[in-house]
Parts: sequence; structure tokens; C-alpha cells
Amino acid sequence: MTTVKADSLRQKMDRSTALRATIKQVYIYVVLAVIVIIFSVVKLDQVDLFERGHFLSPDSIINLLRTAVPILTLSGAFTLLMISGYIDLSVGSAMSLSAVVFAWMVLNGFSFFPAIALTLLLGIAMGVLNGALVTKLRITPVIATLVTLSLFKGMALLIVPDGLSAIKSGEKVMPPWINDYARKEVLFGLPWAFWVAVLLVGLLIVVQRKTSLGKYAAAIGGNRLAAELSGIDAVTVGWVIYVIVGFFAALAGVARASYMSLGDPLSGDGMETACIIAVLLGGTAFAGGEGSVAKTMVGAIIIMCVTTGLMTVIPAYWQVMAMGSVLLIAVVMNHLLGQDKAKV
Amino acid sequence: MQINQLQKPSKPSRPWIAGRLSDESFITLFMVGVLIVVFGIASIAVPNFYKIQNIVNLVTNNWFIIILGIGVTFLLITGNFDMSVGGVIALTGVLAVYFCQAANVSQNVLANGLGLPYGVAVALALLCAMGVGAINAFFIARLKVPSIIVTLGTMMLARGAAQVITQGAQRNTSLPDSFGVLGSLSIPGTSIRLAVVVMIVLIFIAFIFEKKTVFGRRIYLIGSNPVAARLSGINVTKYLTALYLLSALLAGITGILLASEYKAGVSSRATGYEFDALVVALLGGVSITGGFGSVLGMFLGAIILSVVTSSATGLLLSPDWQFTLKGIVTFIAILAQRFALDKRKS
Repeated sequence: MTTVKADSLRQKMDRSTALRATIKQVYIYVVLAVIVIIFSVVKLDQVDLFERGHFLSPDSIINLLRTAVPILTLSGAFTLLMISGYIDLSVGSAMSLSAVVFAWMVLNGFSFFPAIALTLLLGIAMGVLNGALVTKLRITPVIATLVTLSLFKGMALLIVPDGLSAIKSGEKVMPPWINDYARKEVLFGLPWAFWVAVLLVGLLIVVQRKTSLGKYAAAIGGNRLAAELSGIDAVTVGWVIYVIVGFFAALAGVARASYMSLGDPLSGDGMETACIIAVLLGGTAFAGGEGSVAKTMVGAIIIMCVTTGLMTVIPAYWQVMAMGSVLLIAVVMNHLLGQDKAKV
Repeated sequence: MQINQLQKPSKPSRPWIAGRLSDESFITLFMVGVLIVVFGIASIAVPNFYKIQNIVNLVTNNWFIIILGIGVTFLLITGNFDMSVGGVIALTGVLAVYFCQAANVSQNVLANGLGLPYGVAVALALLCAMGVGAINAFFIARLKVPSIIVTLGTMMLARGAAQVITQGAQRNTSLPDSFGVLGSLSIPGTSIRLAVVVMIVLIFIAFIFEKKTVFGRRIYLIGSNPVAARLSGINVTKYLTALYLLSALLAGITGILLASEYKAGVSSRATGYEFDALVVALLGGVSITGGFGSVLGMFLGAIILSVVTSSATGLLLSPDWQFTLKGIVTFIAILAQRFALDKRKS
């Protein structure tokens, strides 16, 4: 009798774990579908905020994907970072600084490729700095990246004086081609910036799933000590991932600067929270150890849907609160689905 | 690299200072030295910097950061962050104004409130602040979610709520006269305002709380080893909850005082204060890794930051330098403290 009981109990438990695993796999897609349906059903013409029409029209989808380029690129790299148990609060500032530097170079007569190459180098340098502070000097990631946050933001503000969002100087004019990268249609109505982002994020997905770097990242995030004892060079792996994040932040900054045709020193504000939300929505564990870049992309699209969708339905001042709620909901979902491993 | 709070038995080969001082006193003295050096440099570089009135201003102009710093310091000692304090300040200020504004007086939505008496309005606003603290505590202490993620979320929640109530701007009309009293009250004959007195009293209470109460000492134990703390019978959840409520309450008090001072509830008030509170705690030697730090150190850190920023203003550097300066100063402070402590141990 008791064995039968135990068996049925085990079966039940197996079933509930299996159910939980299935929910974990699909819930993010369900959320995305529900959000898209809600915003498509809500009649936009009642609000007449903008006449662009239906939420699912090709125009608005293209627009959404175009504006989503920075968060798509950045949150992809951010996932890798959070899988390895680190965090980077400076990504927003790094993006602002890159945008400002890129715009400054374009304004001062650089052509596109040198400007983007130098900006990406700057991004790599910022990543090297963050990585050095966190992995070499072993300063707590939150504190180290908060310090670099104020550093990068301060530098961006020094290049562009406070109160001015665009770079303008007397006779110099921003060349019109700065827009081409993030606005000119090349394929399916989408610009270069989007396809570059798709390519690089695709590369990141491969790196995360198939290469030793991805496996090492998960190992470090899961149990750092065990990873080090089994011969993984945690310092180098962490450092490399910080450099990747810096590179992607610079890429996001270039896309933003090109999209707005100016360098705004505050354009990256809030990007770090947006990235965290996208990563958590994608089901990456808080403490690291598991996660998926591909699912983060779905999370990022959800965020973009919520922000652009909300703008058409309710006034803009609801947005911060909405994002905060989405973050806490993502946290609760991750908890319910058993993603967090209690460490205390 | 770990900062160890326990004293090792002194060896004859070590410098004399090592055996007699705890690490905490050492860092505090170290920061006093830094303060004196920074102040000396500032006095040489900036005219009239050494005058008594300026020194008083250095302390009194930063009262809000110091009040916030108390809660943030205790939480940092336990190994947790509180990034929601800035949002809570904005939320309590806006709520206090909203509760206090006369009801149905104008066509303008932003001029109409609930018409409650000032005392009730303040009490309700503080309760809402503690509600945010309770959300923090629930997620962090019960669900064990990393504090940085949760408090970033509640920061957005609190500031977002403030923006919704003020429609993204501010509320400052149809307020009773009693609303501005708290913020403008000052000690007769001096320029020291009530807020500064509150700050001094709170620092004093926090100092005694930290040094002399069981609760205060247990905070250190939780910070240096949460597992050991739990195994030795300390209810970590309870302590963290109490600390998050305390931190939110302190932010709420700051929010009420600021709203009263300006007679307005502004939704963008206190942007970035959470960062400043963290910076002053770090400058004062609080360490997130080892249950280490003190309120006194945080106070010193606040004055150091104040000296640095106000001398930068005195040197006519543009306000844009503030961000970079804060970053550099914090970075140097963290490295210097690490270096000093490592030197001492070896």
C-alpha cells in the first residue's frame, strides 16, 4: 500500500514539475500574445493621440522594431552577464556616452565607418574598465558599476553641456546621412541598425548555447567556487563578458544617436532597468546560472510593446509606474516558476 | 581582501596602532584624516572656505542625504541595497500635498486634493512610504530576491505613482498655511532649520542604536554571515523587514520636510538621491561584503562629499562636473580604504 501511495505521489510530483517546466517554456510567448491582442483590440482612434493606425499594421510594427534596436542589442549582452551572476548598472550611461561621442565625431567631419569604429572601441574600453573593477579588483558589481555610471554620465554631460540635448555649434551642421544607419530602409522596410542587431544577437545566442564561453558563464553563475575549482578562469570569463556588454552598449548608442540624429547625454537613462526587466521576463535566474538570450529578446519586445502600446492608450506619465509593475510581476513570475535558488 | 571585523591577536612585528584600534575605528580615523586633508586643500584653493558659516553650511545643506544615509547604511551593513529612497521621497511629498489640498476648489485637477488636516495627511503619507518599504521587505526578506532588482522596481513604482498623482508635473496650489510651517521653522536667532535638528537627533539615536542595542549589534552579524546568524537563532527575515521599514520611514520624513520647505509636491524631487546616499555610506567606509561600517563614518562621508562638491562649485567648475567628481571620489575612497585595511592586516 505504502509503495503504491509513494509511487502515485511521485507521479503527481513529476507531473507538477513537468507542468511547471512547460509553463516556464511557454509563458513568455503567451504574455507577448496577450499584450499584442490587448493593444490591437483597444481602439486607438478613440484616443486620437496618433493617427498611425492599427497596432498590428506594418507601419507600426516597423516603427516598433526600429525603436527597439538599442534595447534588443543591449539586453542580449546583458543576459550573458546576468547568467554569469554579475550585473552592470552603467549600461545606460555607457550608451549615452557612446551616442554623444558618435554624434560629436560625425558633426566634426568624421565619415561613418571611422566614427562607428572609434565608438565601438570606446565601448570596449568601458567594458574593460568595468570588468577590471569587478573581476580583478573584486569590487561588488553593483557598487563598481554605479561608480562607472556616474563617471560615464558625467563625461557625456561634459561633452554636451547641461540643458542642451543636441550638439550644435555655430557653423557646423549635422550631415543628413547620420540618419541612414538607423532609419533608411534596406530590407523589409527595416534599417541597417536592425539587421546588424539581429546578426550580432544571433551570434550571441550561438555563443551562449554552443560555445565554452556560454557554458562557463552559466557555471560561474551557478556556483562560482565550483567553477573555479574545476579549472575555469572566472576572472577572464567575467572580464570578457563585461567587454561584450560594453561593445553592445556602444552599438546601441550609435543606433540611438543615428535614429535621433543627435547625441543626447540622457538618452540611455533607464536602459539598465529596461535591460534587467527584459532579462527577468526572459526567465533568467536572478542569481545567475541559467537563462537564454533568445528569450530575453521576447522580453525586450514585450517591453517595447508595453511602452509604445501604452503611449497610445494612456498619458505618458503612467509609463514609469507601468514599467515598475512589469518588473515586480516578472520577479514574482520567476519566483513562482522556481527560478530563484534561495541562497540565504 | 575580505574585511574582517574581528581583531586578531596582536603580534609584536605589527605597527603599534594595529593592536589597539578596531578596524571600524581605524577606518573612521582614516576618514577624519581624509576630511582634514580635503578640507585643507579646499581652504587653500577656494577663498573664504574655512569660515565658520561655510563649515556650518557644509553640514546643514546635506541634511537630507544624511537622514537617508542612516537607513541605507544599516541596510548596507546587512549586505542589502535600498535604491528606492529617492522615489519614496517624491511619493511622500506628493501624497502629503495631495491629501492636504482643499477638495473641490478648482476646475484644475492638480489643484484639488482630499482636504485632510495636515497631521492626518502626514501620517497617511508616511504610512504609504512604509508600504513601499513593506513591498521591499516582502520581496527581499521573504522571497530572497536580490535587493538591487527589487528596490529598482519599487523606485520606479514610487516615482511612477508620484508622477501619476501629479500628472508628471507638480502640485503646489490651494495648500493650507500650516503646510509650510515644518519646513520653514528654524531655531530663533540662527539659520539652523528644524530639518537640521531632526537630522542631528536622528544621527544621535542611530549612533546609540548601532552601538548599544542588541538589534544594532545583530545587524553586523547578519551582514558578516547570514547563515551563521540564522543558525544562531536570529530571525533574519524580521530584522531585514524592520530595517527596510525604517529606511522607507526615514525617506518619508525627508520627503515631508522637503515638500513643506518648498510648499510643493514635485514628482521629480530627489532624483538620484539614492545614489548620493549610497556614495556617502561608501565614503564612510561601509562595506557590503563584510558587515562592516558605521553611522558615524557615513556622517563623515557626507561631509567629505559636501566639501568636494561645494569646493568644486567654489572653483567655478560647471555643475556638469558633479557626476564625474562623485564617481572619481567614490572610486578613490573605496580603493584607499581597501588599501589601508590590507596594509593594516599584513
